[in-house]
Amino acid sequence: MTRKQRRMTIIGGSLAVLALAAALVLNALRDSIVFFSTPTMVAEKHVAPGKRFRLGGLVQPGSLRRGDNLAVTFEVADGGAKLPVAFKGILPDLFREGQGVVAEGALDDNGVFKADTVLAKHDETYMPKDVADALKKQGHWKDDYGAQASGGAKPAATTAQGNSQGAVR
Amino acid sequence: MTLWFVFALMTVAAIFAVLWPLGRSGRAQNQGSEVAVYKDQLVEIERDLATGLIAAPEAAAARVEISRRLLAAAGSELVSEPKSSLKWRRAAAVLALAGLPLVAIGVYMPLGSPRLPDFPLAQRERGSGMAQSLENMVVQVEQHLEKNPTDGRGWNVLGPVLQRLGRFDDAVRAYRNALTYNGESAERRSDLGEAISAAAGGVVTAEAKTEFERAHALSADDPKANYFLGLAAEQDGRKDDAANIWRALLAKAPADAPWRPLVQTSLARVGGGGATLPALSDETLAASKDMNEGDRNAMVRGMVERLATRLKQNGDDVEGWLRLVRAYLVMGDRDKAVGASTDARQAVASDAARLRQLNEGLKTLGLDG
Amino acid sequence: MIAEAGHYALVLALALALIQSIVPLVGARLRDDALMNVARSTALAQLLFVGASFIALVTLHVNSDFSVANVYENSHSMKPLLYKITGVWGNHEGSMLLWVSILALFGGLVAAFGNNLPLSLRAHVLAVQAWIASAFYLFILVTSNPFLRIANPPIEGRDLNPVLQDIGLAVHPPMLYLGYVGFSISFSFAIAALLEGRIDAAWARWVRPWTLVAWIFLTLGIAMGSYWAYYELGWGGWWFWDPVENASLMPWLAGTALLHSALVMEKRNALKVWTILLSILTFSLSLLGTFLVRSGVITSVHAFATDPTRGVFILLILCLFIGGSLSLFAARATSLKQGGLFAPISREGALVLNNLLLTVACAVVLFGTLYPLAMEMLADFKMSVGAPFYNLTFAPLFTLLLLAVPFGPLLAWKRGDLLGVTQRLLAAGVAGLVAVAIVWGWARGGSALAPLAIGLGIFVIAGAVTDIVERTGLVRLPFATALHRARGLPRSAWGSALAHAGLGVALIGIVCETTWNSEYIATMKQNDVAHVAGYDVKLDGLFQRQGPNYREMIAEFNVSHDGEALSVMTPSKRNFTTRGSSTTEAALLTRGASQLYISLGDTTAEGTIAVRIYHKPLVLLIWWGPVLMAFGGVLSLSDRRLRVGAPKPARAKQRLQPAE
Repeated sequence: MTRKQRRMTIIGGSLAVLALAAALVLNALRDSIVFFSTPTMVAEKHVAPGKRFRLGGLVQPGSLRRGDNLAVTFEVADGGAKLPVAFKGILPDLFREGQGVVAEGALDDNGVFKADTVLAKHDETYMPKDVADALKKQGHWKDDYGAQASGGAKPAATTAQGNSQGAVR
Repeated sequence: MTLWFVFALMTVAAIFAVLWPLGRSGRAQNQGSEVAVYKDQLVEIERDLATGLIAAPEAAAARVEISRRLLAAAGSELVSEPKSSLKWRRAAAVLALAGLPLVAIGVYMPLGSPRLPDFPLAQRERGSGMAQSLENMVVQVEQHLEKNPTDGRGWNVLGPVLQRLGRFDDAVRAYRNALTYNGESAERRSDLGEAISAAAGGVVTAEAKTEFERAHALSADDPKANYFLGLAAEQDGRKDDAANIWRALLAKAPADAPWRPLVQTSLARVGGGGATLPALSDETLAASKDMNEGDRNAMVRGMVERLATRLKQNGDDVEGWLRLVRAYLVMGDRDKAVGASTDARQAVASDAARLRQLNEGLKTLGLDG
Repeated sequence: MIAEAGHYALVLALALALIQSIVPLVGARLRDDALMNVARSTALAQLLFVGASFIALVTLHVNSDFSVANVYENSHSMKPLLYKITGVWGNHEGSMLLWVSILALFGGLVAAFGNNLPLSLRAHVLAVQAWIASAFYLFILVTSNPFLRIANPPIEGRDLNPVLQDIGLAVHPPMLYLGYVGFSISFSFAIAALLEGRIDAAWARWVRPWTLVAWIFLTLGIAMGSYWAYYELGWGGWWFWDPVENASLMPWLAGTALLHSALVMEKRNALKVWTILLSILTFSLSLLGTFLVRSGVITSVHAFATDPTRGVFILLILCLFIGGSLSLFAARATSLKQGGLFAPISREGALVLNNLLLTVACAVVLFGTLYPLAMEMLADFKMSVGAPFYNLTFAPLFTLLLLAVPFGPLLAWKRGDLLGVTQRLLAAGVAGLVAVAIVWGWARGGSALAPLAIGLGIFVIAGAVTDIVERTGLVRLPFATALHRARGLPRSAWGSALAHAGLGVALIGIVCETTWNSEYIATMKQNDVAHVAGYDVKLDGLFQRQGPNYREMIAEFNVSHDGEALSVMTPSKRNFTTRGSSTTEAALLTRGASQLYISLGDTTAEGTIAVRIYHKPLVLLIWWGPVLMAFGGVLSLSDRRLRVGAPKPARAKQRLQPAE
């Protein structure tokens, strides 16, 4: 083989591998990408049952119900809409009502989001970024809650104004 | 003084590191070269051949290959005369002697704090004469309580302080402990509830609500419990219930209670529905005048401003606009109220339904046209 | 005084690095030995000063000197000594200081042991190292200075994030950094070669061992990080395809490719230009990893936008070095001497294939890491690329690679004989197929792909064994001769066989863990018994305990297998008072390579506790594999002999003798 032929062989091989990789990536992008949604987006876009996505929002206070054998249901809200979520398993250490949460799963036929993973905020100042961004974008940031907190904390004497939003950065 | 001495010593060492090689001129040094590598490779082949790792024909082929490279390398090897350019060496020396200290001092001075002594733990524990901030005192109380966790009085003191510092989760724990070691009281229960909802970012969670209900059971008149139960009702969307609770609270409240204006504003806030006009009664408006002096003023103002900013970004929220206008009215700032209603009209002008809703709302607030 | 002296030492290191970036280059241009030698002494002095600076920071942390902001924010006087020390690099500023310390260490090593390098090459290499160092010293001093002080020192610190208070974290970042930063050496050599316009044989002789050192540390660092995630995060996952993990995997993939292409270059003087490009790419990916982890761009594009100083600074460094080096490459690569020739089917050819697959796999990971970021910035919608994506893309590419691995070492240099190699690999192939059959018959449930993957793993291991058997002639020659040849076999040959076998071992572990992992999640109360994979796990009770800076609730489990009591396992939940956060400490019971894994969830009011119990068969193989690879690397590194690849002579008679 001449030098040129050898080079062509190598270049041909490289192109073949690259084409293979590109095909694999395009194929994977078609079905294995998980999108992020908030309850409002779910309501607007009518996500089909069974399509996996990540749901983010705040755990609606008062909605957490524990069933038998670690089954839990709660609602995720983003100010605009609410979506019921069912999960079976151990909730993360920092899962709380009124706090940000991200769940991954799919809707069932009754419009209940069946989650197989639930992530809560990691520490006192961390909110799952998807949630924070989405809430900010919608203008549903914690203004309402914050206002109520600073307005609310007070009949007796101590104040915590300003700090009441400390839980969310 | 010692510090500057150390700095000087370090600088001298650094300068020396540059000057040292400059001083050792021209002496030929052993350095690697391509030829040496190929020669080593030839030796290596003989050794591999001897141990039987490669066969004779392969060894021969390798030897040919390497020898060819060796010849090429020997041919192109630079006949490098080590030159010495005194001018450049001097320049480098000057760079080291002048530039290095200049850079070092120039960078260090704006960043460093050469006057600040070290402050290790050992020394800190000895001398306690220094002024102690609130946070330091908190730490000391916390350490004390760590050792004597049953000191109920300590927890009593710590709770409100932590709450004020914004450490709500810790405050929750402190209040819990205070309850455990001091016994039940409506006040403690409602303090705990307040801390819980503060920790949840102002949301009266189910957990917090339970505490307020307990406090309410212990003392039906506890103002904080009543206020927060009203807030819980509001957050659950039961505005009428909230209004009722707060109205009852106001009815029973002493006329000079410091929290009166707050409850009144809250009442005004939920007063969107039919039964709520009384919230904007003369009493409320009168109270709002006192508020301008009170130190809650800033707080309310902050709340209103936040609302205003939000609406500037997203003007679709008719409810929000109405709430803003109402707030300005309550604060006695009629001009701003009128301004806000104009803004609101512009913001929702494109949406007929919303505009109608807005106009109706404004009419009930007495801001017609 | 310690704080300020440390600070000043760092500033001096910057000043020295600036001199080191310029003077040696001038020297090389003028061919002035003295000026070129400045590189050496300044590199050593830099190491001294940065080392002093780092030691100062460690001392401050040990002394709990809260007048230093960094100590105040990340330490606590009650923290155990070990975590006071490891807390130094558990935070951004400290970890960047560690980064430059390691950079200075590598620079110092080149300066100290670079005697057999041509003088001008050494000067160039050290100057390029100094460019990198200067950039990062500036970054630290300007945006992440660990020596900033607080005028009124607080009495207590804010403690280190409890998740980070763990021995796994104590060793894992330094390992990773030794790997990342180690690749700066091959980068500097590549840039030096481009600047000089020539690559000589000494170049090749140097690059491979340094790459190997970095690769060993990176391999161990990644394995350790994965094991840390496995036991500390409490849900038994060991790889999440999380951007931070990808940031360390990409340099590993590129570095592995570099290792192999440097081999070709060292032994056969071929693939020079490609090796240079790979050196640049590998270190660029290390820098990219540093950027991704350190700028906060991963946590949120928006968070990045709100406090962009650090991110923008690193981004600038990134663009400067990657852009600069690639343009330099584009401008000068053609002028470099072309290397030796080889046929497509040959050891060189096999290594090219290896490089192709590794770089493409690396590109796929890069794509998966950056695509969501790009989408969020450009199209403003959010999505995540997780395990399913990589299973569909990365896994097939790696399968191809693993299929090819046993062939490579058996092929002869320059021109190989694929058919002959296939014949010699017959035994390994049969071993693989037998494994497939056995696993198929034995396993109940699980993916149909699992037995095939295990067969592949066995094939890779058997291929490595075949390689050694062929080289020593164990089957063909009398035993004594074989033994003699085994003794004479270069350690690097053993090294590569071990490293390849490590791949197979890790693959088997991964497949077993993911396919036959059994899981039990339930609430348990005292004296409840859980049955998991033949084990009986009984909850004996719950206890409270006070740790140095936390309180913990311990659950005690009695584990028995077939009625025979084995051990007591005590998972716990720790509550750290200062930060008000909690961590879950899983309990592990190792039996062979398999593990029983218990972690705790919430307690309920009735005194029951949520418990997760996993049985993970052969899970430890996942980490034994990389350890084996790293050990192979160490063996190969300890081989001081020169590496020469004897080509197969063109017209010689066909021999069965393998070529070394």
